[in-house]
Order: sequence, then C-alpha cells, then structure tokens
Amino acid sequence: MDAAQDLAGLVQPDRVHKSVYTDPAIFELEMARIFGRAWVYVGHDSQIPNAGDYHQALIGRESVFMVRAPDGAVHVLFNRCPHKGSKLVAFPDGNAGKFLRCPFHGWSFRCDGGLHSVPARAGYDGTAFDEANPDFSIRRVPRQASYRGFVFASLAADGEDLEMFLGGIRTSIDNFCDRAPQGEVEVAGGVFRVWQHSNWKIFFENLNDTSHPMVTHESSVNAARAEYKSLPAGGPMPFKLHIIEGNGEPYEFWDKLEMVGYDRGHSFMGAIFKPPTDPVSLAHIETLKAAYGEARTQEILQIQRHNSIIYPSCSPHTSFQQLRVIRPIAVDRTLVEIYTFRLKGAPPEVFQRAVVYANVVNSPSSNVMPDDIEVYNRAHEGLQTDGGDWVSLHRDAGRDRAIPGGFTANGLSELPMRNQFRAWAEYMSAGEGR
Amino acid sequence: MSGLLAEVSAFLFHEARLLDARRWHEWLELFTPDGMYWAPLTHDQPDPVNHVSLFYEDALLRDVRARRLEERRAWSQQPVTQAARIVGNIIVLSAQDDVVVVGSTFHMLEWRRQEHRMLGGQYTHTLRRSGEGWRIALKRIDLINREGVQDTLETFL
Ligand code: FES
Ligand SMILES: [Fe+2]
Repeated sequence: MDAAQDLAGLVQPDRVHKSVYTDPAIFELEMARIFGRAWVYVGHDSQIPNAGDYHQALIGRESVFMVRAPDGAVHVLFNRCPHKGSKLVAFPDGNAGKFLRCPFHGWSFRCDGGLHSVPARAGYDGTAFDEANPDFSIRRVPRQASYRGFVFASLAADGEDLEMFLGGIRTSIDNFCDRAPQGEVEVAGGVFRVWQHSNWKIFFENLNDTSHPMVTHESSVNAARAEYKSLPAGGPMPFKLHIIEGNGEPYEFWDKLEMVGYDRGHSFMGAIFKPPTDPVSLAHIETLKAAYGEARTQEILQIQRHNSIIYPSCSPHTSFQQLRVIRPIAVDRTLVEIYTFRLKGAPPEVFQRAVVYANVVNSPSSNVMPDDIEVYNRAHEGLQTDGGDWVSLHRDAGRDRAIPGGFTANGLSELPMRNQFRAWAEYMSAGEGR
Repeated sequence: MSGLLAEVSAFLFHEARLLDARRWHEWLELFTPDGMYWAPLTHDQPDPVNHVSLFYEDALLRDVRARRLEERRAWSQQPVTQAARIVGNIIVLSAQDDVVVVGSTFHMLEWRRQEHRMLGGQYTHTLRRSGEGWRIALKRIDLINREGVQDTLETFL
C-alpha cells in the first residue's frame, strides 16, 4: 500500500484518512513507531507486592512481565528464555518463587533477569557460553519508570523521561492517588478482559467522545429511566441507575464540561462538580479531611474528571477508581483490560462502589458496553467500504485554545481526537523508533 | 427419579425454555423479591461485593437488563441474540425444609450476526418453596471460560 509511504497526507487538522484504522501495513508501522517508542503502561506496583510476584503485559507485540525482586526492586523483562526462547511465565499474574525457572530445560534466573544457573554446567566449559554475557540472561526492556506506583516501560533506549512524556496528564494520576487518604492506590477486585473487533484508535477516540453517549447508549438510558419511574415516586435515583442514566444527559450538559488535550495525545474530559450528598461520599470526605485538612480536601475534590487518556496505552477514571488498559492485537482486534483500584485509607464502601461501577458500566456483561462495542465494530466495518475515504473531526475545529503543554476547548469539541492524531502523526513521521 | 429431583428438574427445564424464548418478564418472576443472579469472574472469587463479577444483579438490575434487551435502539441487539440451552447432570446438593440447592451443567449455543458461539458451565440454583412451586433465591453461574477474554454477554445465562 502506498499510504505508509505518504503518512503525512493521511492526517489533516480536521480529518483523517480511513486507512489509518484499516490498513494492516499502517498497523505494522504503529507497532514500530508508536509502541516501539512511547512509554507504555505495564501495571501497578501493588499488583506485585511480594518477592517473586509477576504481572504480564504487552508492549506493542512484545510479551513482557514486571517482577518483584527480593530487594523490593521492580524489573520489566521480556518473557523469553535466552536458551531456546520459551516463554518464562504463564499466568497473567503469579509468583515465580525464588528464581525464574524456565519450564523447558531448567535454566534459572534472578528476578533482575540475570542468569542464576544452568543444569549440567560442565557441558558448557570451554564453549563461548558466558554467564557474564547479557545474551545468556533475560533481556530487560530498555527503559522503565514509575509514577506514583504506575509502572511504564519503553522499548526505545533513548527518549524523553516518563514525567516529560506524561506532561499535564500527570494531574489525573495525582488526583487518582490524592483521593486516597494515604495518598496511594492499589489494584484490587479482579480484572475484566474484553475483545473489541475494531482498531485500537476507535476506542481511544471514544473515551473522550462526548457526542456519542446519548445516541449509542439510548437503550440503557431508556431502560434505567423506565426502571426509575417504576419505583415508588420521590425517592433519589439509586446509584446503579444513576451511572447508567447519566449517559442520557442533553448536549448542553456535555458542552459545558472542560475538555483538555496535552502533547503526546493525552487528554481528559472534566465532570461538573456537584458537592456529593450520598453517605458513601460523605464518609470518604471525612477520611480525607482527617488526613489532609479542610482546604486541601476541597482542592482535591474540585478536580472532577470523567475519562482521562494516557495515550497510547491506558485510561484512568479517577473519581470511580477504574483503569482501562488498551492493547492493540491486530489492525481489527483490540484487547481491553478493566481494573478497579482501592483508595488506601478510604472506607471499604468506596471500593465496593468502584466494583459496582465496573460491573454496571464498564464490564463486557454490562448494559452499557455492548452498545459501545457494537458501534465500534460497525465503524470498523463501514470504514472498509468504498463509501468514503475520510473520517470527520470537524466539530469545533480551529477553535482549540492553546494552554501550556496543550489545548483546551468546549466539552462537545472533537479536540481529543485531533489531539491524538497530532501525536500519532509526530510518532509516525519520526521514522523508526528503535 | 425421586419426587424432589423430578420437581426441580422440571423447574430448570422450564426456566431454560423461558430464556431461550426471550420471555424475560416471565423469567424475572421466577425469583424471590430478594433473589440474586450471580456469575463470578474467577474460579476462587471470595465474594461478589469486593470483587468484580460478570453478573451480580438484584431485581432492579435484572429488570433494567430485561428492559434494555427489548429497546428498539439496543444496537447490539440488531439482530437479537438467539440461544438454545441444554441443562443436564441435575443433582440435589442439599434439601432442608423449604430450601433446596440444585447443581447442574449447562450448554448454551448462541447465534448473532452470523456467528455461533458456545457457552457452558455449571449452574447452582438455591430454590425456595413458595406455595405450589419454587422461586430462585440465588442463581449462580460458573462459566468455564469466566477468566478468559470475553466477548460481550448481554442476555441472561
Ligand atoms: S528454552 Fe529455557 S531452558 Fe531451554
Ligand atoms: Fe460509550
């Protein structure tokens, strides 16, 4: 295909060519130039509390895992034995024991990847085999770094550091953690894993797409409203209905939300701050005040955000303690993982509410997500027709306002999509990432 | 077949027929008012409150799901999911007064958008006697692939 030769022409300020979603050759280039270079989320520190604990992840095509060493350090390693290539760890999460032992011929490795021992060692005497040569150890992912417990890694040996990469979207990770009275969060309560039969960028764009909820989610909004009407009149809407029904807010509501895009494709959409009155929130606020005092607590709660986007690998929802991790598998296949987090020091009901939110809104078995996945599928299928060559990003185009490190706009603006493609074009045009 | 086993077997077959026919509202009435519908996500899941589940639905949420499945603009139900369930290996696990726990194995074939898919696992029904018949106090579904990567699950299992 020639599109890969002419990447610059595929992304224009207010529209993109359909091939960026459908062309396998472009997907290959994305693997090298975006996922071969960017900082990609691996997992959270809390998933591997004990020595030997590991958590598997994908960086582009690369199967990697992070593992906790006896000295407490976290190492991000390729899941490949240097002997004959066998994958070393099998479960999404597990414990490797004292050493990582390969299931094929029993070479074993320290948790930093260094070779520990090989069976029948004498056979290697006088050969080029050399313990000190890194070729005989598990290869480390070139760069790793963590921000407030969120571990990222990069396949590129050089590049900006993690904090530079995150830029303004650090404020979303900060607010996620600051909402914990102890200032820390931990992964808890299991993980949903779901297939999307569509290009990974379709999901990323949807995360801050404020003009889809009332249309895509009409079925669940109507069902929740009908259910509320069937309840005894005058009562407050139950939380479980409220979080479904919220998608039905009118366009004026969404347009008032703050929309902010940062360099590297990151963005967030704000939420309208209404002082909460429900008992779970009030109990949570009491624990925050005890930890931080009144003024700081108000400062933390004033920051209210729906989905934030950390392009190109994850999306935190800070006020309901969710993190969605996005892994492109093929041009038309995307794996999404949905994690819930506990705010350390907050009442248990706050975490239980995060579990309800995940079940009712974010899960593959919810009443909400199936309609999302259906429209992503239809978009991916429709884009492959000859019915048109371009995807429109015109809503409020040309009206983005510059702020330090990015842009801001009204809530219905398609700024986040334009912002993602600005980063996409930078990554893709800068040549090979490694 | 003992009287009780025959009775609960007939109940499970009837339930499966209602679901196959998408007669959601009749199916909802099979539950006690505080009855729960639970499909754990993992094999060793300790509880449904501190861990996410594929389904953990009370009467309110079951009602919402049934309503949504019949909405004209439920995009992912265009066309609707068709299904056929087989329930077998039915065994009474415990029986006390008017509460009986019934284990079974199910096999479910689903079709939508030119795609067939196979689902299967174990059902565990906690049934409470009510008048002449039975009501579901807890229907637990353990899908064999519950820890895998899921495609969407929309209808009741
Ligand atoms: S492949 Fe790992 S020890 Fe041989
Ligand atoms: Fe949506």
